[in-house]
Parts: sequence; structure tokens; C-alpha cells
Amino acid sequence: MPVLDRVWKRWKGTATSIHGRFFVITRFALADAFASRTFLAFYVLCFLPSLIALLAVYLSHNTAILEQASAIQDWLIEIPEWIFHHLFGWQAMPAFLIAVVVAPSLIAADMGHNALAVVLSRPITRREYILGKLTVLLVLLSPLTWVPALALFGLQASLANGSWGVTNLRIAAAYLIGHWIWMLVISLLGLAVSATVRFATLARGAILAIFLVSAVAGGIINQLTRSSLGDLLHLPKAVTSVVMGLFGAPTPSDLPIMFNWATLIVAALLSLWVLNRRLRACEEIA
Amino acid sequence: MMVTSTDRSPAPLGISEQVPVIELQDLCVHLGNRLILNQLRGSLKGNIVGLLGPNGAGKTTLLRTLLGFYSAGSGDARVLGHSLRSEGRDIRALVGYMPEDDAHIAGMTAIRWVRFLGELSGLPSDTALERGHEALGYVGLGEARYRKVGTFSTGMKQLVKLAQALVHGPRLLLLDEPTNGLDPAARARFLELVTEVGARGETRILISSHLLGDVERVCDEVVILKAGILVATCDLRTDPDGKQPFVELELSTFSREFIDNIEAQGCGIVIRAKTRIQVELPTGLEIRDLFRAALSCGIGLRRVNLRRDSLQDVFLRAMEDNNASS
Repeated sequence: MPVLDRVWKRWKGTATSIHGRFFVITRFALADAFASRTFLAFYVLCFLPSLIALLAVYLSHNTAILEQASAIQDWLIEIPEWIFHHLFGWQAMPAFLIAVVVAPSLIAADMGHNALAVVLSRPITRREYILGKLTVLLVLLSPLTWVPALALFGLQASLANGSWGVTNLRIAAAYLIGHWIWMLVISLLGLAVSATVRFATLARGAILAIFLVSAVAGGIINQLTRSSLGDLLHLPKAVTSVVMGLFGAPTPSDLPIMFNWATLIVAALLSLWVLNRRLRACEEIA
Repeated sequence: MMVTSTDRSPAPLGISEQVPVIELQDLCVHLGNRLILNQLRGSLKGNIVGLLGPNGAGKTTLLRTLLGFYSAGSGDARVLGHSLRSEGRDIRALVGYMPEDDAHIAGMTAIRWVRFLGELSGLPSDTALERGHEALGYVGLGEARYRKVGTFSTGMKQLVKLAQALVHGPRLLLLDEPTNGLDPAARARFLELVTEVGARGETRILISSHLLGDVERVCDEVVILKAGILVATCDLRTDPDGKQPFVELELSTFSREFIDNIEAQGCGIVIRAKTRIQVELPTGLEIRDLFRAALSCGIGLRRVNLRRDSLQDVFLRAMEDNNASS
């Protein structure tokens, strides 16, 4: 005869806040991502460009070390300006690769065996579900992009003369806004593809293909029409133009910059539309 | 959850005394241009309510609508007092749902999956882990809780679905065809679990099924749907109309006179075969009156069986009545 009898009992404690509930999705997805050692190693590698840039900026202001390394002194002194011109690309590319690796399995895994039906039977909405998944990518990409960029800006401002930070505030704003635009575009595209393509490898290919095909299609249209109309489809050029515009530099597209903004906004809205269509607790068969 | 055997709840109330768990208020649901649920009206009060109906009757659609997956075209429903139209999130916080199809993330272990859903329901992280272990132990998957759900057999997947539906201690469990794919032993055990959960009266249960035997075994109230219309409700414990008594007679020889005689006394008659008839006795008429009628007509009664309708009879009658009325 059992000492204890198993009897079902309801839980009557206080529930956690409804507002932060989406973060449960984020937390579990992040834990899943970092469960892979290969991914962890790759993620650490992605910090290299930012770490090298931080080191270089520090060295360029450290005269004691520069005097010992006189041969490369001139080059090192020039470094901050050169770094701020190129760092965005160095940071954006690893961020893109991380999004390509992580995003495809984020939603596809939940859709594979109808897990969404029980996930969405919980007191969370579809919007919160998407927000939870989007936050996974934002949490992963932020330490690779705008966080080190602002840290670098802060370091340079503190090491350079007093007015450098104020006079170059636009650089900090451009890094912050530019990286957020980049993160949102690739994250939303990644999630939309994940909600559409079930197999992760295919989905990764699809994300790359979207950028490649949009670039090729844009180029062909430009050639055929002998205009810059194709740039409306050219996602990489739209991102670059918007970012260059934020820095106040010449843009690669001949179109007014608001058209490049429009391209990115349309891409984001399309991704949200796909997510809205695909993310259902159950199929609606009429 | 694990308590000593002395910790028992008082016996559940009778159905008529209970607060309705679900009130349907002319609920209509359209999918595309098709009307799937047509002005459902009624109130479900049982501890364990069976939702019966043939394929395509709208059982699953009703459950999904109660969870807010489909929106109501018109009308409303109140689940545990909350309006479907304005308090969907509150309803989902109180409900545990076990869908008909597979519903899991194949690469997750059972404990992680159940914990994840517990946290989504509002359990603090450590409580979700603790209750996840308890829920899996309760359904009999304690030994397998660190295995990936994708490696489970069909029966084990059904049990994981039950565990995830129970983990947050819902006030209402919605079970959609829960015994599908289970072998007889697993089915019996599953129904035992469901009965046990419902018996305490803390968690009410709505089971959608087309397996009448399962429903009859565990439910105390039944709702029958056909083509999106609520055609019958039946209290399996007390409702005399739902499960009407009748007498099966086998006559020594067919006699029109005998049939006319008892029909004149108010009996409802169904002729099953030449010498076998089914007689519904009106109030006040007893079996001895049938013997008297047989004697006066000069025939013998070879067999007399007093029976009540089985759930299958109730179900078939509801289907026939609906056919006739439509």
C-alpha cells in the first residue's frame, strides 16, 4: 500500500506579470541557441571585429605604447577615423550571419509539430509571441552591433580631446539608428522565412537568396530601364544608402534617400504580413 | 500536487447545483463563407462534460473558439464567467488545452517542454519546473521526462499533452479526442486519470470525442452537436429524459391486435423484427399491464427486458430527431 497517494491539485499561487511573459519565449530560445558549442564559438568569434577596433582605438591614444612601436605609429594615429568609416560593415556582416544561423529554426521548430496550438492556448497573444522571437535576435545581435559601436565611440570620446564627442555626436546616432534598422530588417526577414520554410538549411538559403535575388533583380531592372528604379528592389543597396545617409556620406543609390527608406519599410511590413498570415494556432480551412 | 491520501476534496456538487463552466449565448462561427457553429445556446454545468458529434459536427471548432483561435461571428460564450469576446486572455489563463494532433517541439525534453508551457501560463520559473516534474510523474511519464518528446510513442505523446495541459493547474481542461491512438490499456489508464482529475471538482473538464464508450465512462453530462447545431444535452447521472427506460419484448407470434392494444394505452412502439418490439412505457403503466394485454390477445411473451437507453441510443436518437426536423 503506498504511503502517499498521488492526487491532482490545482496551483493557487500568484502568476507572473503578463507584460513580461513574452520574455519566457526569448529565454528558452536563447538557451536552445547556446546549447550548441559550435554556435557559441561562432558567436564569440563575431566579437572579434569590435574587440580589434576597441584595441586599436585604445592604442592610438596610448602614447607610451606608440613610442615603443614607432614604425607603425603614424598608421595607428590615423586609425580612429578609418575605423569609424568601416566598422559598420565589419559589425553588420557577423550580425547577418548570426541571424542567418539562428532565425530559421526559431519559428519553424514550433510549427513543425503544431506546438503553436498549445503555445497560443496560453495567455499570450500572437503579437507577444512574435515579440518574444524577435527579442531573441535583438538580444543576440545587439552585443555585436550598436553596443560595441557606442562603447567604441565612448572610448574615443574619452581618449580624444574634450569636444570630440560633442562634435561627432552624429556618428553615435548613425551607429545606433543604422544598426537598429539593420537588426530589425534582418530579424523580421529571418522570422518570416522561418515561419514559411520548415527546414532550417533551406530557410538559411532562402534568407541569403532574398538579399541576392533582390540585388540581382534590382541590377537587371536598372540595366533594362537605364535608370535607378531597380534600387527600389535592391535590399543591400537600400540598407547601405540609408546608413550612409545617416552618417552624412554619399549614398550608392541615385534615388532620393526616402525611397531607400521606403524599400526597407516595405520589406519589414511584408515580413510582418507573412508572420501574421502564417502564425496561427490552427489552420482555418473554409 | 503530491498530497497524503487524507487530503480529499468534498464530494462534487450535483450538476444542477453547479456554476456553469461554459455558457453558450447564440454563438456563431464562420470559417471563410461557411457557417460552422450555428447559434449554439446552452449552459454546461457538469464536472466532466462530453462533447459528442459525428465528424464535421463542429466539436473541435467549438473548443478552438473557446480558446480564441477562431473569432465568434455573432453571439458570445462565457467560460468560467469570462466573455469570449472581451476576456480571451483571462480565459486562456484558466484553461488547459490538449489538442487532437501532435503538439510539441520534437527536440525538447518532456520536462523542458512542460516547464516552458507552465511559465507561459504564468508560473514562476522554479514553480514551473517543480510542477512540470509533478505533472509528468502524475501522468506516468516520470521515468521518461528527460527524453526528447520527438522520440516518444503515440501514447506517451498523448500523456505529455495531458501533462502540459495540467501543469499550471487550470480550472478547465479542454481535451480534444484525447484517447486517439491509444491501445486499450493506455486508454483505460488515461480515462482513469481524467476521471481522477475531474472527481475533485477543482478542475472541470470538457472532452470532445466520438468514442461514446469513453464519454459514457467518464462524463456526467453530454452535449451533442450535429452540423454545427447543438441537438441535445443530457445529464448522464440523473436525467430521466436523456436516458429513457424502455422494455424489449419478444412475442410468441406477431399480433397486430396486441400492438394496437398497448399503443392505445399510450406506449411508444418500435418494431425491431417480426416478433421483437421495443416499448416505451408511459407514466403509470407497468410491465404487468403488458402481460395482461398479451393474455387478452392470446399471445405469449417469450422475453421481457427492462432497459434504459445507452448513450449510443441517446446519440442516435439525437441524430435522427435532427434529421427529421431538418
